[in-house]
Amino acid sequence: MRRIYQIDGEETECWLSHDGRSMILNTPDGAIPCQLDAAEAPGGYTLRVRGRTYDMRVAVGPDATFVHLNGQTFAIGRVDPAERLAGNDGGAVDDRIVAPMPGVVVSVNAKAGDQVKEGQPLLVIESMKLETSLTAPRDGVIAEIPFAAGDSFGLKATLAQLAPEEE
Amino acid sequence: MRRIESQIDTNAPDFKANHAAMSERLKEFHARQHATRFERPQRDIDRLARQNKLGVRERLKLLLDPGTPFLEFSTLAACREYDGAVPGAAVVTGIGIVQGREVAIHANDASVKGGAWYPHTVKKIVRLLDVALENRLPVIHICDSAGGFLPLQHGVFPDRYLGGRVFRNQVKLSQANIPQIAVVGGHCTAGGAYVPTLSDYNIIIEGTGAIFLGGPPLVKAATGEEVGVQELGGAVMHTSVSGTGDYRAATEQHAFSLAREIVSQWKRTPKTIIETATFEEPYYDPKELYGIIPKDRKTQFDMREVLARIVDGSRFHEYQPDYGTTMICGFAHIWGYKVGILANNGVLFNDSSLKAAHFMQLCNQNRTPLVFFQNITGYMVGREYEERGIAKDGAKMLMAQGGSVVPKFTVIANASYGAGNYGMCGRAWDARTLFMWPQAEIGVMGADQAANTMADVKIRQLQREGKELTEEEIAAIRDPVLEKFRQDVEAYTSTSELWDDGILDPADTRNALGMSISASLNAPIDDPHYGIFRL
Repeated sequence: MRRIYQIDGEETECWLSHDGRSMILNTPDGAIPCQLDAAEAPGGYTLRVRGRTYDMRVAVGPDATFVHLNGQTFAIGRVDPAERLAGNDGGAVDDRIVAPMPGVVVSVNAKAGDQVKEGQPLLVIESMKLETSLTAPRDGVIAEIPFAAGDSFGLKATLAQLAPEEE
Repeated sequence: MRRIESQIDTNAPDFKANHAAMSERLKEFHARQHATRFERPQRDIDRLARQNKLGVRERLKLLLDPGTPFLEFSTLAACREYDGAVPGAAVVTGIGIVQGREVAIHANDASVKGGAWYPHTVKKIVRLLDVALENRLPVIHICDSAGGFLPLQHGVFPDRYLGGRVFRNQVKLSQANIPQIAVVGGHCTAGGAYVPTLSDYNIIIEGTGAIFLGGPPLVKAATGEEVGVQELGGAVMHTSVSGTGDYRAATEQHAFSLAREIVSQWKRTPKTIIETATFEEPYYDPKELYGIIPKDRKTQFDMREVLARIVDGSRFHEYQPDYGTTMICGFAHIWGYKVGILANNGVLFNDSSLKAAHFMQLCNQNRTPLVFFQNITGYMVGREYEERGIAKDGAKMLMAQGGSVVPKFTVIANASYGAGNYGMCGRAWDARTLFMWPQAEIGVMGADQAANTMADVKIRQLQREGKELTEEEIAAIRDPVLEKFRQDVEAYTSTSELWDDGILDPADTRNALGMSISASLNAPIDDPHYGIFRL
């Protein structure tokens, strides 16, 4: 995978290699031989590309590298390809909250007809000495919460159901 | 490696309540730790001054490289024993840096009962020498002990892991080519005489140090011979007549500079090389852990939020993120060292156990040390799970964990109950170091479950005898049991009994692990091999 950089907000893919004589910057538009040498000033470098010489300054920050070149400053951020290319995970969210294991309902914090937000705690269950808070999988309206505090339930029992989303 | 995206809101009421509860706990913890290290009755301080001896902490300062970390083990050992009168079990142990080298240190604390060996003292010394053996760390003994505490002699002397084990481990260290130095800054009497004599090098401080099998009173009683300490076993006699001592030191300062000089003569063996990356502090503040760890032990929390505040750059490569989700597995770096992390995010099911076993095999294959973060209430129980073979899958996890050849490190971050403790590399499973957080709990089962079980047995027994019990009578049976169990599962009980290597302020966990991993690389890593997996 090539690296993805974000230069002043615009993404570009490139990869630095070496052909035995000089460094090569591989870009979507072709390979560019180049050379970078440290200059005397702190953070100073001399860049040689296609017969031309540029003086530049580089400052490295935690989230971006700043390059000062030709009177202009560029912020260069590195984009993680695995993250960038993961796409949207999830897809359709289930309307039901299904018991991850058998247990007992400790408390119920919503009732049928309630409008709830994604991540809002709907009920707390206890199983294996552990209290787990179960939250709404998406924004919506509660259709049913069939158990009350103190009730026990089995594996994969439906603990809460959201009303189907309207198209 | 990608950064974990924290979902924590540091302004949320839950976060603030947790933070307040943890801060309160830590205030108590740091106060207890400080008292154990530095607070002594005036008469004990006066006695040391009269004997012209330095305290154990001052001795460590003379020995260790200035400005380097000292990873102290089990500071609060014996805190719930002997009415709290033997702080730290009268001994200081840990890993420190001398002349740029990692060494294990065993130093008697003569300000506590003259440095006498109590049962917990012996346990603490044996543990330190086990650490030295496992990690191939040279040992420096600072000897200043009144000898075994006689009223409890059966707790310090006869059994396999008692007094004799200290000397046995010294022999094993020597046999394994691991050097030892003893600095004799007090009396080494009877068994204690073998600590310096089994060391490759020993230094005796003139005037205060002495070595003998029987001290002057015992000699008088046994044979009638009247002899003074110096003639019987002082620095001059041993270094010039008997050859029992190697170096004579004029002062404590002289003794420790000699010890440092000896360390610098040792051959340096190269450390084991594992994958490393450039050191990076966590992106998220480790102190935020205080607000993440729930104030109620039973409340579930996302262990990724914990990892984000411990590992380098908060970066984590998660393995099988969508399978067996109650078990988080993945790679990260700590102090630049690549590690494989196993962290509980709920009960262990069949799939989570298999995932853990598989991941541990991966780590052994590429020589990646394992770090366990325990918050485990157990393997899932019930008919459904037995039918799916939960015991069989748990056995696979144990086989992979126990059979691992890479160094393992364990943090008991919250709950450590039942067989989950085993699967997640509890004390019996040879973690190179094992630390506990102050609110963590450990036991076969939870206090409530244990109290109910025991109370039910009692109630049923009484019912069989025809006695009907009122609510009050049932409470009278249950409540005292519950109270005792609640105390028994606390981190302070664990650390008192040396079931761990110490309680940690959660924010210090990263450094404790970094030092532990670094020390472990003094030992080679074997080729992977396992027992039989029940497939």
